Amino acid sequence: MLKQYPTILYVLQKGLWYFLTFIAAIVINFALPRLGDNNPVDIIMGKAAQGLSQEEAKQKKASLLASFGMAELSTRTYDTVGYECALNEKGEAYLKEAFVPAIKVTERKIKDSAGADSVVNDTVGIFEPKLDASGAVMKEAASDSAGKPILDSAGVPVMKNVMQPVMVKKIIHIEKGSVVYSTTPVLENGNPVLKEEPVLSSSVVQFFAYIKNIFHGDLGLSYSQYPKPVIEIIKESLPWTLAIQFPTLMLGWIVGNLLGAIAAYKRGIFDKVFFPLAMLLNGIPFFVFGMLLVAAFSISLGWLPAMGAYGFDQVPSFSWEFYKSVGLHYILPFFSIFPILLSGQATGMRSMSIYELGTDYMKYAKWMGLREGKIVSYIFRNAMLPQLTGLAQSLGAMVGGALITEMIFSYPGLGMAMLTAIQQNDYATIQGCTLMISICVLVANFSVDILIALCDPRVKAGIQVGGK
Amino acid sequence: MSEKIFEVDHLSLHYLTRFGEKVHAVTDVSFSMKQGEILGIAGESGCGKSTLVSGLMGMCIPPLYPTSGDVRVSGESLMNRSESDIRSNVLAQKISMIPQGAFNALNPVRKIKDIAADVIAAHQKQGSPSSAKEIYQRLCERFDLFGMDTQRVLNSYPIQLTAGERQRSVIGISTLLNPRMVIADEPTSALDVSTQKEVIKMIFDLLEKGIFSTMIFITHELPLLYHVADNIAIMYAGEFVEMGTAEQVVKDPRHPYTQALMGAMLSSESSQRSRKPVAIEGAPPSLNQTIVGCRFAERCTRACPDCKKNTQSIRMVGDRLVRCDYAK
Ligand SMILES: Nc1ncnc2c1ncn2[C@@H]1O[C@H](COP(=O)(O)OP(=O)(O)OP(=O)(O)O)[C@@H](O)[C@H]1O
Ligand SMILES: [Mg+2]
Repeated sequence: MLKQYPTILYVLQKGLWYFLTFIAAIVINFALPRLGDNNPVDIIMGKAAQGLSQEEAKQKKASLLASFGMAELSTRTYDTVGYECALNEKGEAYLKEAFVPAIKVTERKIKDSAGADSVVNDTVGIFEPKLDASGAVMKEAASDSAGKPILDSAGVPVMKNVMQPVMVKKIIHIEKGSVVYSTTPVLENGNPVLKEEPVLSSSVVQFFAYIKNIFHGDLGLSYSQYPKPVIEIIKESLPWTLAIQFPTLMLGWIVGNLLGAIAAYKRGIFDKVFFPLAMLLNGIPFFVFGMLLVAAFSISLGWLPAMGAYGFDQVPSFSWEFYKSVGLHYILPFFSIFPILLSGQATGMRSMSIYELGTDYMKYAKWMGLREGKIVSYIFRNAMLPQLTGLAQSLGAMVGGALITEMIFSYPGLGMAMLTAIQQNDYATIQGCTLMISICVLVANFSVDILIALCDPRVKAGIQVGGK
Repeated sequence: MSEKIFEVDHLSLHYLTRFGEKVHAVTDVSFSMKQGEILGIAGESGCGKSTLVSGLMGMCIPPLYPTSGDVRVSGESLMNRSESDIRSNVLAQKISMIPQGAFNALNPVRKIKDIAADVIAAHQKQGSPSSAKEIYQRLCERFDLFGMDTQRVLNSYPIQLTAGERQRSVIGISTLLNPRMVIADEPTSALDVSTQKEVIKMIFDLLEKGIFSTMIFITHELPLLYHVADNIAIMYAGEFVEMGTAEQVVKDPRHPYTQALMGAMLSSESSQRSRKPVAIEGAPPSLNQTIVGCRFAERCTRACPDCKKNTQSIRMVGDRLVRCDYAK
């Protein structure tokens, strides 16, 4: 039934492939720290155990294993149950009408075995259940109940009203089972010793635990900033990376392509100056250019700050002061990427446009007397299509590739977060960051794929023909 | 005698290569045409036919540049006029062309209707733009003449069409504005025989309907030209070597190259069935230097020592033009 909608089918197909790639990325991410006999926890413990007593180390390892979903946990759960009042619509605790049966207690004096003096003396009376302070029936009253309920003429027990608030059972908290240890006798210095080792779960179980955690947004706890969740670290750093990279990339791409197309079309003096300049800029590595900018504008001239995303004296807030500080700190990182990106795009676009200019259909358009503006738009549109693939690549590389820029400017982005994590063997954070990067790469590529399919009828028509 | 609507005077064109070298692709071409005339130009691959077309349109696209000579349409010269002047006053209205290789002539990312609409829009008089709907209406009317599945063709991208449909679409687009003259550059090469016939039929339908009346038809197939053209010019290494009526050139060629060319053709006439086609030995001279002597001398069976020294000029032999001092 999807056959009638080749475009949707195409998007779904593409989406499926990207999803599979995503899973592959997860598998790699999962498998890498577990290569050979390694596992992420042991690696962390190598550093984390320093300065801890044996018992503390054991506890730390157990908690890490549990948070990574890597160890067998005892299946017992301990739940704490609390009670609280149910409330009615008015917000008052409402009372349940409990009907406590009235009890008839029969006391009887029995003759003793000698049968001398004791006479049977039955006392009949209504026993009132004794209530405690909260109004609940006290146990002792019912406990010596040799008594039976008093029945009315219809045979139904006679009841006494007791007003009592309704209680609701609520599970406050379930304690996870602790890590299961296996004990094995080993020889240590010739003496038999009992060794306790946590029982690791099978890799399949570990894998599903990992996937489950990921889809819950639980990427584990950072070790270097223990006990901060990795997802928090990513949430704090990713926006900075996106803020610096995305606008720069898009702007560099658009402006670069425009300039490239104009250079190709106009030729002449503009091209003669622009092209070598673009080539030169293109040859300068990001970090060299960035450092030159810092040296010139920050150190020598002192015009612009070169450290961090906002001033040290600022606290993130929605104030004008803060925005100003962020803006000032934005300029140098922006200009360390923008011109280089622009010139890369422009040189590519220039040669694509020159190629387009030489095609038969451009000549035909000229010979049919089309206006210059129309022809330039033809060129731009056609030469831009291959450039879109380049855009996908740079958008994908954006998150990871930001590292160098962020290092130079101490920008608190994902690259910096990852660098810190790597330096401190913070596996959970490294994994979280790489996963974030793969997601960004995939999302960028997927969107550009769809964009290309929408813009390029050769692909679009291909979908339609292929879909039939 | 009716007025000459198209005149070419000693037109020479050259390509400028990257190293500043000039390739003289067209040298000293002169001819004129009357209203309603069909001129056929034939010559082997690389002899400069397509280059000549650019020159005739008055629109040389770099690296092609005019060297000398003049082209006049109804007495108006096309040389030394600004590009925008040519674009808005000549192209597609006075002279239009059907380019070689229709597939490559259509922008792959635009639908046929958009390509055609661009042409109409480019030549609209200022102040009276037609709406997209009117333009589409006009396109439908025109394309209905061609006996094609108009709606489908107009709403297709070039890759979705067959070679024949693409070629006919190009012809349709080129003749949209009822140009006075059409230059068709090998409109039938690279098509199969039956499609070729359809395309030829379409062109002559258009002529009959009076959509245009004068045509230059370029091909390397002489037999075809014999059937369609009034006059035929034979081109060799950038020069016209012989020009006369179709009858004269095909039935009684005088220039050794034309004669050799006729020998190289498979003839459909029964009397010549038994004759095997003879390939012409050798290759034409390269055009990036000045050539002294007859350009065909190297390959000519009747060449004499003088031929390699004396540059030949085109002259009247009987009532046709031949560029060979020894032709009778
Ligand atoms: N851009 C160019 N730069 C230099 N030389 C060129 C260029 N384009 C064409 N030429 C040369 O000009 C000559 C004429 O080319 P042209 O395309 O006009 O030939 P043609 O007769 O149309 O050939 P065909 O039958 O293959 O279409 C050829 O020798 C070719 O090598
Ligand atoms: Mg050609």
